[in-house]
Amino acid sequence: MFKPIIKIHDATAVSTERVSRRHILWGVLYWAGWGIILGILCVVGGAVVRLLYPRVIYEASKVFKAGRPEDYKMGSVNLVPGRSVWIVREKEGFYALLAKCTHLGCQPIWYEDQQVFKCPCHGSRFYKDGINFSGPAPRPLERLHISLSNEGRLVVNKGKVVGHDYTLQT
Amino acid sequence: MANKTKEDALLRPKDVYPKEEKVDTWPYLVRKELIAILVFSIVLVVWSLVMNAPLEDLANPSLTPKESKAPWYFVGLQELLVYFDPWLAGVVLPTVILIGLTLIPYIDPDPVKGVGQYAFKKRIFAMFCFIFGFTMWFVLVGVGQYLRGPYWSFYWPWEDMEVAKQVEVTLTNLPLPAGIALIVCFFALGLTIPAAVFKNFYWKAGLVRYYITMTLFMFMMFVPLKMILRQVFHIRYVITTPWFNI
Amino acid sequence: MNIIVQMWRSIFRTGVADSPVHRVFRVVVNFLLHLHPARVSKDGIKLRYTFCLGGLSLFFFIVTAVTGGFLMIYYYPDVDKAYASMKDIDEIVPFGTFMRNLHRWAAHLMVIFVPLHMLRVFLTAAYKPPREFNWVIGVNLLLLTFLLSFTGYLLPWDQLSYWAVTVGTTMAENTPILGAQGPFSVLGPEEDMHFILLGGTTIGQPTLVRFYFAHCVALPGALAGLMALHFWRIRKAGGISRPL
Repeated sequence: MFKPIIKIHDATAVSTERVSRRHILWGVLYWAGWGIILGILCVVGGAVVRLLYPRVIYEASKVFKAGRPEDYKMGSVNLVPGRSVWIVREKEGFYALLAKCTHLGCQPIWYEDQQVFKCPCHGSRFYKDGINFSGPAPRPLERLHISLSNEGRLVVNKGKVVGHDYTLQT
Repeated sequence: MANKTKEDALLRPKDVYPKEEKVDTWPYLVRKELIAILVFSIVLVVWSLVMNAPLEDLANPSLTPKESKAPWYFVGLQELLVYFDPWLAGVVLPTVILIGLTLIPYIDPDPVKGVGQYAFKKRIFAMFCFIFGFTMWFVLVGVGQYLRGPYWSFYWPWEDMEVAKQVEVTLTNLPLPAGIALIVCFFALGLTIPAAVFKNFYWKAGLVRYYITMTLFMFMMFVPLKMILRQVFHIRYVITTPWFNI
Repeated sequence: MNIIVQMWRSIFRTGVADSPVHRVFRVVVNFLLHLHPARVSKDGIKLRYTFCLGGLSLFFFIVTAVTGGFLMIYYYPDVDKAYASMKDIDEIVPFGTFMRNLHRWAAHLMVIFVPLHMLRVFLTAAYKPPREFNWVIGVNLLLLTFLLSFTGYLLPWDQLSYWAVTVGTTMAENTPILGAQGPFSVLGPEEDMHFILLGGTTIGQPTLVRFYFAHCVALPGALAGLMALHFWRIRKAGGISRPL
């Protein structure tokens, strides 16, 4: 609708030059107008997208200290309060599992008598080592990096996912 | 010239609806609207007086309740999560549904048939598709809302949801070649057979419309197919790859 | 009495007399009624044709919007106060429960009636030319209705809302390409769709404020704007659909 009408001129006609120059000018302005609109949209759109990513997130630190190794019984599964992490002690050593179902993020529950994790949301089940064996969960529970601090306490790093055979010997 | 006038006329309601009976908006339409609003105002007020909106315990990020269901209108999607991985049930399928709904006016080849009347017989295929999808959505909602208990186990209405279910079915995956063959056959047959059988439909719709329609239709039919595979043949994934499973 | 008549006339611009001209005039000069044409097709307004589904959807939207406004007075979108303010609305605010019930049940009815309206429009082929694009707008209105309900679900900050929204937003984490856990993902857990939605990696204060903004400002605004367009296009398409 806003496209400039470009007349096709007879090549033999006189004084076409002035008219066509004017048309070229209008054409340039027309496309420049679209360019400006597009540019502004890109800048504002980019700003909005960037604005949605906060620079600082006020969340609990991903690295936290848990108890001393001797606090955990052999073969026990311990939920660290408020951290959504299980610390498991086996003969092979310690490992930490993220208490977040790989299906849709609910927190599974540990059943000591059956030795399984069950997710209440959609019934996914995991063995003690975090491997999924039933229900809709597509992957095993994530195993987190665990290490020993200088003063002899366990340190879990939720930001660092490790392989499913990773354990910490003590 | 005559052709052109006819084309223009399509946009002019005066000409499209030449001799129709009209009535005054006031009072014939206004009073109907008023009655409808009054009836539902009463329903709303009475409902709000006798039944309270639920409010459970304070949110606790470290304790998932035994039964956590989405709001009822999304329970249909949650029910699909039993059969599909989250990226399919939660993202791809809703997107396909929305795209399909949006495209409906553009893939229906006939611009006139059945307008303004409940003409079930005139538009059998269209009616079937929409009612099938619509019913499936609400059946899924019903199953998810009323027949799923703790741990999303299936309970018949007469069964006690307090009794834990111990149904352990071992699920298998189809081998990759068989899975790919199944999907390719499913879509290939779904796209070719109707064209061969319903030639009239195929020519009327045209190539592009036909393929879009049938692809969307086969997508819709894939959902019950996967459910049957899961419930009857205990198959978990049709296609298993390191990147995604279907 | 003259002054009363003058006041009435100044507001409604019509008297109480009834004649064909008055009937037309009454619709044309009334802000609300002029959504309608002065005269309508007799077949189009049959109850068994429309079942009033679209109009009632609008009515439920208005009820939710007004009651929602009143709830906003007492509700704080703050994780420490949200649940307490819900308890206040339920137990201390006079008629707070009633207002919340109206809001909740009208929203439920809206979620039922919008799809039913869509079903009606499909069954009567009312999406055919020249109404194709109005159907597209309608699909968007349906989506917005669902999104409004979903965002409102988190606000009470109770167990139900927290976990329902956990399940709902974790799906965003599984989006192909744009989600951190989805197939072919290219974005990390602090860059993906899920992060934008939550304003963090877990549901917390930023999530509550984001959902509050979406539920109270962005989505209702979009819905109201699209609805205006929806109604305007009905008129421009020659009113309600009817047999050709």
